[in-house]
Amino acid sequence: MKTIIITIATILLASTSPVWAQSEQYKQAMTAVLTTMNGQSEKTPPADMLATANQFERIASAEQKEWLPRYYASLIYVYMGFMGKDAAEKDKYLDQADKYLKEALALSQKNDELAVLKAFIAQSRMVVDPMNRWQTYGPAFQDALTEAKALNAENPRIYVLEGQSLFYTPEQFGGGPKVACPILTKASEKFATFKPVSDLNPVWGKSNIEPMLAQCAK
Amino acid sequence: MKLPLLILTTLLLTTTAFAQTLIKGRVTDARGRALPGANVFLKGTYDGGNVDSTGTFRFKTSRKDTATLVVSFIGYEPYTKKITIGTPQPDLAIRLQEAANELNTVVITAGAFEASDERKMTMLKPMDIVTTAGAQADITATMNLLPGAQRVGEQEGMFVRGGSNLESKVVIDGMIVQNPFFSSLPDIQSRGRFQPFMFKGTSFSTGGYSAQYGQALSSVLLLNTNDKNSNVGLNLGINLVSANIGYDYETKNSSISATAYYGNLKPLFALIRQNVDWVREPVFTGSSLTYRLKPTKNGLLKVYGMYSNSRLAMNFRDPSVETGPAGPGKTTIDQQNRNAFLTSTYTDSWDEGRWLLNTGFSYSRNTDDMAFNNLDFGRFDTRIQARAVLTRLMPGNNSLLFGAEAHTLSMSNGVMGTTYKLNDQYAATFVESEIYLTRKLAGRVGVRGEYSSLINRFNLAPRLSFAYKTGLYSQISLAAGQFYQTPDYRYLYQNKDLGFERADHLILNYQIIKNQRTFRIETFYKNYAALVREFTNQPFDTNPYRFPWGRTNNTGNGYAQGFDFFWRDQKTVKGLDYWITYSYVDTKRLFSQYSMSTTPTFVSNHNASVITKRYFAKLRTNMGLTYTYTSGRPYYNPNRNNERPNEYLSDRTPSVHNLSYSASYITALKGNFIVIYASVDNILNTRNVFTYRYTPDNKTRYAVGPQSYRSFFIGGVIMLSKKAKVDVNQL
Repeated sequence: MKTIIITIATILLASTSPVWAQSEQYKQAMTAVLTTMNGQSEKTPPADMLATANQFERIASAEQKEWLPRYYASLIYVYMGFMGKDAAEKDKYLDQADKYLKEALALSQKNDELAVLKAFIAQSRMVVDPMNRWQTYGPAFQDALTEAKALNAENPRIYVLEGQSLFYTPEQFGGGPKVACPILTKASEKFATFKPVSDLNPVWGKSNIEPMLAQCAK
Repeated sequence: MKLPLLILTTLLLTTTAFAQTLIKGRVTDARGRALPGANVFLKGTYDGGNVDSTGTFRFKTSRKDTATLVVSFIGYEPYTKKITIGTPQPDLAIRLQEAANELNTVVITAGAFEASDERKMTMLKPMDIVTTAGAQADITATMNLLPGAQRVGEQEGMFVRGGSNLESKVVIDGMIVQNPFFSSLPDIQSRGRFQPFMFKGTSFSTGGYSAQYGQALSSVLLLNTNDKNSNVGLNLGINLVSANIGYDYETKNSSISATAYYGNLKPLFALIRQNVDWVREPVFTGSSLTYRLKPTKNGLLKVYGMYSNSRLAMNFRDPSVETGPAGPGKTTIDQQNRNAFLTSTYTDSWDEGRWLLNTGFSYSRNTDDMAFNNLDFGRFDTRIQARAVLTRLMPGNNSLLFGAEAHTLSMSNGVMGTTYKLNDQYAATFVESEIYLTRKLAGRVGVRGEYSSLINRFNLAPRLSFAYKTGLYSQISLAAGQFYQTPDYRYLYQNKDLGFERADHLILNYQIIKNQRTFRIETFYKNYAALVREFTNQPFDTNPYRFPWGRTNNTGNGYAQGFDFFWRDQKTVKGLDYWITYSYVDTKRLFSQYSMSTTPTFVSNHNASVITKRYFAKLRTNMGLTYTYTSGRPYYNPNRNNERPNEYLSDRTPSVHNLSYSASYITALKGNFIVIYASVDNILNTRNVFTYRYTPDNKTRYAVGPQSYRSFFIGGVIMLSKKAKVDVNQL
């Protein structure tokens, strides 16, 4: 009898409190897609990355209040933006990244991760055509990083982007390893203490800077 | 007691299993080609799938009855459809429509040459204006290298497709600039007053331009100022002729930039031999202030003000002078110019960008205290203008705009001690619509009405353009329209009975932009009507400073026809960017003091230029080499039988060649940027001749050429970053 009651109660609870049930479904779906995403790299075929972005888009469609699926969809399009075969294609992916960033910002305004993402998009836009775009996207990149620092100076990804950008900027433009290495080291220190708010929150960045840190150590 | 539980669970399991419906189908583009990677799902659920390489998708759902199917794919319009879920579920066939983008949507371009960062498919980028050798970072000098422009070495301004410099206007953020160049001097080309870095976009129209602009028979140069500072902090610049200081500061919603400069051409003139007899080398000072404020999310207020003051004196070769303070054959010109220009614009948008408002107000005041052999030839003008344009954007790229502007202008001109004055109230209103019949075919239809109180006349000018996309990267455009202009104010001082001058344009253009290569060809026909003619009853007067004393009327006319092409290639040779432009014009006009229809003295039939640029990463240096060719221009020879059409202005000057080089080196010192630039103009030291004049006895011909032949220039800028600024303050 006791079991029946519990079972019925569980069923009732499951059907009457969809929020709880959905969030469980959300967590599972997100975890599954994040696992796929973490297994992908710059060598992954674009079609597979697009499929992952599509999965996030579907979660976003079902979860109207969650910024994270939009964040990750946008992030994948930023990665794809680096992989596009020409300027037009890169911009096409980055337009999509902007679209999801905008949606995410509408759900979560003061968010350091979204500010970092904004900076990441600006950086990718600049990389498409640095000679002509640094004047527009250089300041946009800096502004977004400043915003992120104001929201949470402990976010290591701020220093990942900052250090990475400086590392590949020629010395005559105020970049180079000399300037970049202290910032990359700072990123690495922040990673040591950084705890994401939840299992689903962003954790990327550590492996991105490892090759550069190795060069810094030399 | 186990039974009910079993029943319950079974019931539960079976319903779930039975409720799963398979949704499947195909997703293709409009032509039926598979779109792998498209995302298909039911709105508000986790149920969905990706389209595979054959274009099919399949997924299961537990939803019943109805659901909204969403199909999305990058580059395509999102698709939604209400579907009924049942068994058997029929296969879905979905066709997605391509979304409008820069590659599949035609752009109306006839007549316009655009440099912009915002649009990707442009032929030039704003940086190109600064980095072109031979243009000395002067915007109008760069425009003079573009197809359609004719180079006239001894005068400032833009001479476009057979038109004179009075037929082109410079417009900043929609506002006409009354004095875009430093005050003109006889036989010396003055620079533009504006720094190229101020602008985010430039559009040089060689004809057929929008109904939003008027008062230019040939051309408008549209300049759009930056929306924000490009750097923050202090910057210092020094070069052979001037020193300047700038400071930029910004907060979240506002920014401010201030600049000040002092220049003196004495050191440069000591180094480079001058063909001009300077009595007093030019000295100039000036400052500018820019303020920008974002009061609302989409609103932007920009205020730009500048003031400059310059002084110089020179002896101008004038063989008609027998005695004078400078001796025979010379006129001393002493000029002090004070120029103030203030412009402010406010732009805003509502309803998710469907409504756009552009408003502006500007004031300009220019004083030339000028004396020729101590006789007053001073000039003074002010212009106040206000403008508002409201644009409604509609689905499918269609738009409708309407606007109005009002100007009040007052001018005075001293001529040998007598001062002539006039006032003009000018008003215009315009309406224009862009209509996309399909993504491949678009039209722009506009009309502009103008009124001038000074001549008390109205005009109504229709404008029309079409563009058709012939391929993914190519298109053809056609533009036609009427363009009116108030006659040169110097005529109006004495005759207020003149009417508007008119030009009719017809332009056909083809362009292809593909793979970092651009090709553009444009052919045109321009008809001139109601041009002002002056009847002097004297032989042709070649004095550049003549004042029109003769009787005038609107009986002039003429035509200009020709073609021009542009080729730019950033691909073939890695790292090298080069452009080739060529313009051909054939024109004859009866106007001004010309006694019969002829090719005017400012026209050169052939203009060509080759511009090359390359960045040398190891040297950290950007280098450019520019070659220009301008064919000979007609000049007046008093020894001809000038009553005969085949002899009148039949002589031609030799052609003009110029090879110039520029280099800029960028480095950083303790986090501060340093740019060092150098240029050499007329490397081959060609003795170019722009025109010839004769002494009053008609016996001796003398040449008018550039201010100097081979010349060089060197300078540098240092930008102190935020961090370094503190150090500077501590010093």
